[in-house]
Amino acid sequence: MRHTRLLSVMLGLLCLGLWELAVQQLTTSALVLPAPTVIASSLWRGLGNGYLWPHVLQTLSEVGLGLLLGGTLGFAGGVALGESARLRGVLMPYVVLSQVVPKLALAPLFIVWFGFGTLPTVVMTALICFFPLLENTATCMQQVDAHRLELFRMLRATPWQTLWRLKIPAGLPHIMAGLRVAMVLAWVGAVVGEFIGGSKGLGALIIAAQGSMDTPLMFAVLVLITVLGLLSYSGVQALERRLSPASFSL
Amino acid sequence: MSPDTLSPQPALHLHALRFAYATGGEAVRGVSLDIAPGSVHCLVGRSGCGKTSVLKLAAGLLVPQHGQVLCHGDPVIGPRADMGFVFQRPTLLEWLSVLDNVLLPISLQRPVRSSDRDMAAQLLTRMGLGAHVQHNPQALSGGQQSRVALARALMGEPKILCMDEPFAALDAITREELQHDLLVLCAQQGTSVLFVTHDMAEAVYLGDQVTVMHQGQMVHTLRIDLPRPRAHGVRHSAEFNAVCAQLRQCMDEGL
Repeated sequence: MRHTRLLSVMLGLLCLGLWELAVQQLTTSALVLPAPTVIASSLWRGLGNGYLWPHVLQTLSEVGLGLLLGGTLGFAGGVALGESARLRGVLMPYVVLSQVVPKLALAPLFIVWFGFGTLPTVVMTALICFFPLLENTATCMQQVDAHRLELFRMLRATPWQTLWRLKIPAGLPHIMAGLRVAMVLAWVGAVVGEFIGGSKGLGALIIAAQGSMDTPLMFAVLVLITVLGLLSYSGVQALERRLSPASFSL
Repeated sequence: MSPDTLSPQPALHLHALRFAYATGGEAVRGVSLDIAPGSVHCLVGRSGCGKTSVLKLAAGLLVPQHGQVLCHGDPVIGPRADMGFVFQRPTLLEWLSVLDNVLLPISLQRPVRSSDRDMAAQLLTRMGLGAHVQHNPQALSGGQQSRVALARALMGEPKILCMDEPFAALDAITREELQHDLLVLCAQQGTSVLFVTHDMAEAVYLGDQVTVMHQGQMVHTLRIDLPRPRAHGVRHSAEFNAVCAQLRQCMDEGL
C-alpha cells in the first residue's frame, strides 16, 4: 500500500518534470503553456503579497453558503419526498425538470434577477448542490428494510422517531455520498457563477487573468481551486467518519 | 404452569378472525383460539397457510376485516406495550450496541434509567451474552443475534409474546438451546406465547397446545401433555415421538 502511494507520487513528479523539460526545450511561450516553476512562483507571489486571499475568501464563502443552502434544502426535500408518495408524485417531475435545465444557462437570468456579486453565485451553487442530496436522501428513505419498519411499528415508535432513529441512521451512508457529490459540484457552481457574473473570487480572477494574458496566474488559480476542492472533500470524509449512525441514538 | 388451569379470562382471545390482503385472496378464514395465561400455543402449517398473518393480527400489526382480538379482555386495535414480537430475522440495528438494541423498546417510550440498563444487562447475562453487552451486533453469531432479539422482546416484560419462526435459520443444536432458554425465561416472567413454526418437533417441545393450520383455517388443535419443565431429554422420549407422529398425521389429514 505504501509502495503504491510512493509510486503514485513519483508518477506525478515525473509528469511535472517532463512538463518543465518540454517547455524549456521547445521554448514554448509562457502565454500558451507556462512551466510548473513559473506557475509555482506566480502562486507563491500571489499568496505572499496577499493578492489572492480576498478572492479565495470570496469563493470559499460562496461555496460554503451555496452548499449549506442547497444541501439543507436538498436534505429536507429528500426527507419530505421520501416520506410522502403523493408529494413525490406531484413534485418529482418538476424537480427533475429543474435539474435537466442546464443551470449554467440560467446564470444570465440570475444576474438580471439578483444583480452582480455574491448572491447569484450562491443561488447557482445551491441549485447545483440541491439535487444530489435530494435524490440520495429520498431514495434511502424509501429503501428502509420492511422488517425494521415493522419492528418500529411494534415498538409503537412515532413517525418522527422512525425517521430520526431508523430511516436517517440507516440511510446515512447514502446521504453522505450525496453530500460528497454536492461538495465537488459546489466548486463548479461557484467558479462558473463567478465566470459569468462575478468581479471577485477565483473564477472572476481566471477571467481577469485571461484578459491580461497572465496565463501563469490562470494556472496558479486553477491549482488553488484544485487544492481547496480536495481539502473540502477530505473535510466531508472526516465528517462522515465522525458522524456515525450511532450519533442519532437519542 | 398447566394450560388447563382454567382462568376466567384468557391472556389472548382470537375470535372468528378473517383477513384478506389487498393484493390476494383471503389469508385468514375464521380463526378462533384462546391462550391461557402463562401457556405456549404453537401454530404449525406449511408456508402460505396464514399462520404468520394470524400472528400479526394477534399482535395488532394487521387489523382483521372480521372478528376481534382481546388481550386480557381489552380489544387489540394496534401494537401494545404489553405484547412483544420476535421476527423471523433478528432485525437488530447495527449502529447500536447489543445493550442499546435490547433497550430500544424502552428508549422509544421514555428516557432510559440505570435500572433499565441493569435489567437489560441481566437478561443478556442470563442468555450467555454478558461478555457482548457493548459489542456491535454484527460481531455476533446468528444464534447470539437471535438471543439479543429475544432479550429485546422480553425487555418490556410483555404479558404476551408473539414469535414468527424466530429460530428457523439456526443450526439444530443452537435452536434447541434457544427453545429451552425461551421456556425458562417465559416461565420466570409468566409470559404467554403464541409461536409460529413449521418445525413439528419444535411445536411439540414448546407448546401446551399446537394448532395445525391449512389454507387460512385451523384444522386441528392438539393438547401436549408432556410434563413441565421440559428437559432436553424429553425430545428422545417415546411419548414425544408419539405426539410428533400424531401431529404429522393431523397435518396430512388437513390436506
